[in-house]
Amino acid sequence: MTVLKTSMRNFFAHKGRMALSAVAVLLSVAFVCGTLVFTDTMNTTFDKLFQATSSDVQVSAKGASDTGETTSRTGKPPVMPASVLGEIRKAQGVKAAEGTVFSTAATVVDAQKDKLGSGSGPTIVGSWNTNDARTMKITSGTAPKGPGQVMVDADTVKKHHLKLGDDIGVINAVGTHHARVSGIATFTVTNPGAAIFYLDTKTAQQTLIGETGVYTSVNITAAKGVTDAQLKKNVVAELGHGYKVQTAKEIADANQKSLKSSLDVMKYAMLGFAGIAFLVGIFLIINTFSMLVAQRTREIGLMRAIGSSRRQVNRSVLVEALLLGFIGSALGVGAGIGVAVGLMKLMGTLGMHLSTDDLTVGWTTPVTGLLLGVVVTVLAAYLPARRAGKVSPMAALRDAGAPADAKAGIVRALIGLVLTGAGTASLFAAANADKAKAGSSWLGLGVLLTLIGFVVIGPLLAGGLVRVLGAVILRIFGPVGRMAERNALRNPRRTGATGAALMIGLALVACLSVVGSSMVASATDQLDKTVGTDFIIQPDNPQNGLITAQAVKVIKATPGLARVTEYRPTEADFTTPDGQTLKDTDITAADPTYATDLHKKTVVGNLKDAYLPDSMSFPEKFAKAHGIHLGSKITVAFKDGSTAHLTVRAITSSDEVIDQGAKYTSLATLATYVHKMPLDQMVFATAKDGQQAAAYKALKAALHDDHPELTVRDQTDYKKALKDQIGQLLSMIYGLLALAIIVAILGVVNTLALSVVERTREIGLMRAIGLSRRQLRRMIRLESVVIAVFGALLGLGLGMGWGATAQKLLALEGMKVLEIPWPTITAVFIGSAFVGLFAALIPAFRAGRMNVLNAIATD
Amino acid sequence: MTSAVTIPRHGGTGGRTAVAARARQVVKAYGSGETRVVALDHVDVDIARGQFTAIMGPSGSGKSTLMHCLAGLDTVTGGQIYLDETEITGLKDKKLTRLRRDRIGFIFQAFNLLPTLNALENITLPMDIAGRKPDRAWLDRVVETVGLAGRLKHRPTQLSGGQQQRVAVARALAARPEIIFGDEPTGNLDSRAGAEVLGFLRRSVDELGQTIVMVTHDPVAASYADRVLYLADGRIVDEMYQPTADQVLDRMKDFDARGRTS
Repeated sequence: MTVLKTSMRNFFAHKGRMALSAVAVLLSVAFVCGTLVFTDTMNTTFDKLFQATSSDVQVSAKGASDTGETTSRTGKPPVMPASVLGEIRKAQGVKAAEGTVFSTAATVVDAQKDKLGSGSGPTIVGSWNTNDARTMKITSGTAPKGPGQVMVDADTVKKHHLKLGDDIGVINAVGTHHARVSGIATFTVTNPGAAIFYLDTKTAQQTLIGETGVYTSVNITAAKGVTDAQLKKNVVAELGHGYKVQTAKEIADANQKSLKSSLDVMKYAMLGFAGIAFLVGIFLIINTFSMLVAQRTREIGLMRAIGSSRRQVNRSVLVEALLLGFIGSALGVGAGIGVAVGLMKLMGTLGMHLSTDDLTVGWTTPVTGLLLGVVVTVLAAYLPARRAGKVSPMAALRDAGAPADAKAGIVRALIGLVLTGAGTASLFAAANADKAKAGSSWLGLGVLLTLIGFVVIGPLLAGGLVRVLGAVILRIFGPVGRMAERNALRNPRRTGATGAALMIGLALVACLSVVGSSMVASATDQLDKTVGTDFIIQPDNPQNGLITAQAVKVIKATPGLARVTEYRPTEADFTTPDGQTLKDTDITAADPTYATDLHKKTVVGNLKDAYLPDSMSFPEKFAKAHGIHLGSKITVAFKDGSTAHLTVRAITSSDEVIDQGAKYTSLATLATYVHKMPLDQMVFATAKDGQQAAAYKALKAALHDDHPELTVRDQTDYKKALKDQIGQLLSMIYGLLALAIIVAILGVVNTLALSVVERTREIGLMRAIGLSRRQLRRMIRLESVVIAVFGALLGLGLGMGWGATAQKLLALEGMKVLEIPWPTITAVFIGSAFVGLFAALIPAFRAGRMNVLNAIATD
Repeated sequence: MTSAVTIPRHGGTGGRTAVAARARQVVKAYGSGETRVVALDHVDVDIARGQFTAIMGPSGSGKSTLMHCLAGLDTVTGGQIYLDETEITGLKDKKLTRLRRDRIGFIFQAFNLLPTLNALENITLPMDIAGRKPDRAWLDRVVETVGLAGRLKHRPTQLSGGQQQRVAVARALAARPEIIFGDEPTGNLDSRAGAEVLGFLRRSVDELGQTIVMVTHDPVAASYADRVLYLADGRIVDEMYQPTADQVLDRMKDFDARGRTS
């Protein structure tokens, strides 16, 4: 009876024992496969989109980008004369050619001045054309005709609750154009998230370029039997090389390439986090198999006694790992598809529409998932399996588990100390490095070594730290606390590994929070020290947003302002004294007042002089690298302009974060050499003394009414925006790290659950002599809290060390202020105690329900 | 004979009765229908206060089950069990736990001690759990009685089997429970160490007035008791006062023979 009961119980305990390890594998594999499926699906979606929307051959102006996105510093896309259309039609194999005008540099608003973007994709304004009509259907109203009409894509209509007849404003470098919604067009392919507004061709020309008779691109349809490549050849032959001519495939490839680079960043970042989760999972698996082997010591001893070889024992454990890995990863692959669908839904809420019809599961995805899961699991089980093989046949005769190997403890301590010591030395080297590059190598090495060192030395630290924790916290709980302490201490290796798993995730959290808040603190500090202006005006769209001349006029007309400074970066080819020519190097042109608006330190010279005619300034590092001195003459060939010889009047310190590496010249100088002035990227406004508040209000009101594409911030708001931005980034990273932390929590649950099973008799004994269920549960909870807090202490300590080192290193790049975000650190610490409580829920419940008689059942 | 009630009349005296624990018509059955196994079949028993009672019987006779039920470790299917005047059958886990903690002591055959606690901590554990301060003088006396004075700081793994059982005896005695239950307390010991432990139990009855109930299958162990109860097939079949080892052995052989012929 009891035998059956016990074996049933063992069986279920066994299943549970494996289940948590399987879940850990599952989660990590699911994350990997989810990432792969998601990025593959994104690729498929965009590939389909580009294939479907591109015309056979497209001709665009020379300055247009390969992907067809047409922006420039002037706020207007590069154009070609309409006459090109006639020439193209002369080429052989052209069935039809149609000129179009498109711009991604316009802001579109509704009557309430709310921006009509998708939230994730570009906002495109262009001419309604037959090529787009292939992939879009007018589902409501009519195509735009005349200057008063605009057609909007259905997704944007839905998102912003537009309807026919609504007023829409298109704001760009040309001015503001108003039209009413005349029609709604629905994509017949998946539109991942572009907001598209169609005007008729003439209106588009006038609105986006400011003149008729120009096109941004020409879509060409091939005649029957003419390949795209042949057609391209023919068109190039006709037009010469003054234009960009691309086949549909070339455009799709170019788009794919630019998409791939941004997708890859996301993919590898997410895979990196999955890797961390795997790393954490390894601890869980090692712990599980170690406990499994320890619990079976007598059984294994018996096997050895009756003639099993070491290898057989070893292999039997590895086979279990193999099975576990296989089941975990197989489920993980399935769950990964769910993760991908979840990610797609998440993207949907952010404005990016992906269809599950495009769900792409390449053969590499399940193979990668399975291989990764199985290999990691078996590798993790290797050490415990080896230990199983070493069990002596004598173990069958011994009553309790063999005493711990004291020598291994010393070896371990030595290795751990050496690693930690070397890691700490590396971190010191990083902190004191005077070259960022060498320093970051030291930092990487230091992080790696201290991490491994802490993992190795963890069991020893567990002894010390748990005793301290015991003295500080557990004493309050009397004998129950003392027993919890002893239980946490009885197998330091297990406690160490469980804590280490939690340590990894929390160390990263701590490190990043230190770096993030130091970044904010440093930037704030610099802003306070260097910024001498009140308001910063920026476009909301940082990639291709610009401040139009009309907007600058509005700003300048605002009452209460003492001065307004315009700031416009552009590119030029530099020929420096060392004889090098540096292509497409940025140069910042600004009003001379910029020297007052931003107090930049100079190494030599006066920054104000850089704004004299034909003058400029260089940053220290650049100057050093290219042999530039005060008074050097630099040849600057402006893009779309002529060549200037500018005199170096100041060299700025490279020590500051704000506008780091900027080379300054005056707007007047720039105007002398370029044909088309670029638009402002930023405008700084300074109020008259005592009128700051009123001016801020006035600026806000003026911009909201006429230029909702711009945002004005005073210093306080600017700092806040900066902080929010970094906070957002950190939240995202914490969110991704949550996976690793969840796996670590599973590890704590796992360790406790297995310990409870292991201690069945002890628990029965304690219950027999009068330990109440509540006391028993508290004992297990306390043990759990101790393990979690131990992991948190290690992690936070390690992470803050890393963070502080990183700050010291980044101080070279201007991140001068070290700020430890104590609220975050404290919250993580307290949170970890709750994690401990949470992790103990089920194990404590199960222990409470254990049968007292089990202790006495002497089988 | 299905009854071992020594004093038929009980209760009403107000003070402590001469009976430390009693069972009335206790039934313990596992399973139901065809597979129903009756471990205890309407057992009546009185455990006299200040006496050393041994329960004997062949394997499967129900002797351990009877002890578990008397000690509040196991539930009964029918009947009542009283500890002094408290009926423990039907008590909820919380009260039962407190009862075990405050009024009962245990000595098991093996695994009596928590490996993480040293000898002294193990001895005071029931009182620690209860949040009571041990009576210093009594504790010293108990420790001295079981001869552990020099080993109080040792962990269980550093003690021999006999020493471990003596620690368990000390733990059972230290809290001054009304009754101590021993489940083959010498089952894992050699005869010398066993005799030592039994000697302590005997002395604790004689000198400290302790009530002890012990399950055993060893006639020598049973000979230390004041009274031996014989169980077979879930019933009390015989009892014997002031037994000697030989008497016990003879009686056992007798049962064995009867069991074989019937």
